[in-house]
Amino acid sequence: MSEFSRLVHIARTDFSYFFRTKWLMAILISLNISDMLVTGLVYKGLVTFDYFRFLVPGIVVMGLFSAATDTGRRIWLALREGVVQYYMTLPVRTSGLVAAYIISGGLGGIVYSGVLLIIAFVVVPPQGIMNAILLLPFLFILATGIAGLAAFFASISRVGEIYWVYAQALQVSMVTISTIFYPSSTIAQYLPGPIVVIAEYNPLSLAAGALRDSAFGGGALSTSVFANLLGVSLPLAGIGALSYWVILRTIRIRGKP
Amino acid sequence: MFAVETLSLSKKYGKTDALRELNFTVDEGEIMVILGPNGSGKTTLLMTLCTILKPTSGTAKVMGIDVVKDGTKVREVMGIAFQEARGFWRHKPSSILKFHASMFDIDPVKRQDLIEQTMKELELWESRDKLFMHLSGGQAKRLETAKVLVQRPKLAIFDEPTSQVDLRGKRKIWDKIRELRDQGSTIIVATNEVREAEYLADRVTILHKGTLVVRDSIPKLKDAIAGGDVVEVGFEDPVADKLVEDLKNLGGILTMSPEGNQLRANVSKAEDWVPRMTSASYNMGAKISTIKITEPSLDDVFLHFTGKSLEENP
Repeated sequence: MSEFSRLVHIARTDFSYFFRTKWLMAILISLNISDMLVTGLVYKGLVTFDYFRFLVPGIVVMGLFSAATDTGRRIWLALREGVVQYYMTLPVRTSGLVAAYIISGGLGGIVYSGVLLIIAFVVVPPQGIMNAILLLPFLFILATGIAGLAAFFASISRVGEIYWVYAQALQVSMVTISTIFYPSSTIAQYLPGPIVVIAEYNPLSLAAGALRDSAFGGGALSTSVFANLLGVSLPLAGIGALSYWVILRTIRIRGKP
Repeated sequence: MFAVETLSLSKKYGKTDALRELNFTVDEGEIMVILGPNGSGKTTLLMTLCTILKPTSGTAKVMGIDVVKDGTKVREVMGIAFQEARGFWRHKPSSILKFHASMFDIDPVKRQDLIEQTMKELELWESRDKLFMHLSGGQAKRLETAKVLVQRPKLAIFDEPTSQVDLRGKRKIWDKIRELRDQGSTIIVATNEVREAEYLADRVTILHKGTLVVRDSIPKLKDAIAGGDVVEVGFEDPVADKLVEDLKNLGGILTMSPEGNQLRANVSKAEDWVPRMTSASYNMGAKISTIKITEPSLDDVFLHFTGKSLEENP
């Protein structure tokens, strides 16, 4: 077995944890679906634009975010349960282990949001479905980036509760200052200009916007959307990879994370 | 070439020295038992050899491969059973073993049979449908051993392989470790259990406070202690002073303490001294009822070389 095959095997095994917590995932997905159907459909009749089509892409991105941040929880547990130390005795380079975790996080994000997308496809035009499929690789990169952030928080959390505090703080800040649930014009009414810019370039906003325009709106895909998504996601994935690499290095020197 | 060789190997955790300038070798195909109390540096040494820990200074080689410069290659030839079992909590034992076997290129055709056979031998087969997190401490430890047995590495490392395992399970694990050695693997076992060391060791290394105190085969280590054997003789009548004097003159005796009908003697070689003692007693008309010969335990050896018992903290 080549080192690359081993790396893929580790990523696959770690990713399988995503399905081994299937009841947790089922509950989270059902909450998202409930948001889609209840909130989206009710508000559709109350606001001046089609809130269902606006909200659903946001929820899909939220699902991707939740699943990708689960990587941090898995890393935290793996560190405390000694699985990371076990991985360190396998014939794979440190960089391979780092890549495996980040890939696994990306896969988790894409599977979770994929489920939501499939359900949402009932209201998506055929061209939109094709556009959504083309967007998937970029959503995968976004998920690796968020998984990277989660890995960073796992690396600096001494106890599990602290990791959840970081993860929730990340969620609140990234979701609040974004255009997931409300348009940037709404943010501009209440918050200063720089915040609006941050919200627009928030990777979650970019992903939700891309889904709204090209998948749910049926519009043509723009290369600038892809470039922006990559531009904000790749550095996050890099931070995560570096953080995880630092964890492994710390274990090698101190014997513990 | 040594299977394992360290030169001036040191490891510090902050200001604490876990290993100090350790020079240590293991021959190919032997079972080397590292004996020492908790905190003696056993686990640190093993973690360094399996590349989890980076040494502070010095070098360590496994099968001639430097553990720092070429860690991935070292990991291809070695396998470790950790002191605390480490597995995927939500996986079943067989899938943990399958993952491990595939990472080490165990023939996929033979893999399943090998896993099944190993699980049966280590009495894990009944627990095959349990998740790792539901296994008992002893079962998890046996699974840890099973990983290495399935892998059959050139260098197999076992860190306290039978802690938390019942007596019957201990014997099974020991037999499987010896079998692995017979199949050509070099074995390192770290333990603080004297009986485990006695059962397994081709040679013993005693570690104390991160330094190598002594390394040799068990008989040689025991012989190195003054008063190699202990002979306890029971007489039908109280031991006479004259008999004590005559026995002292036989030679080969280091200390002797008569008490009532009993006589306890530390002798250099029991097999030489006992026939002469029985003959002398017969000539004096002293009737012997019992003779008990014991040899010093490894705990005595440890005490002799370090001044502390294995059970004492460092």
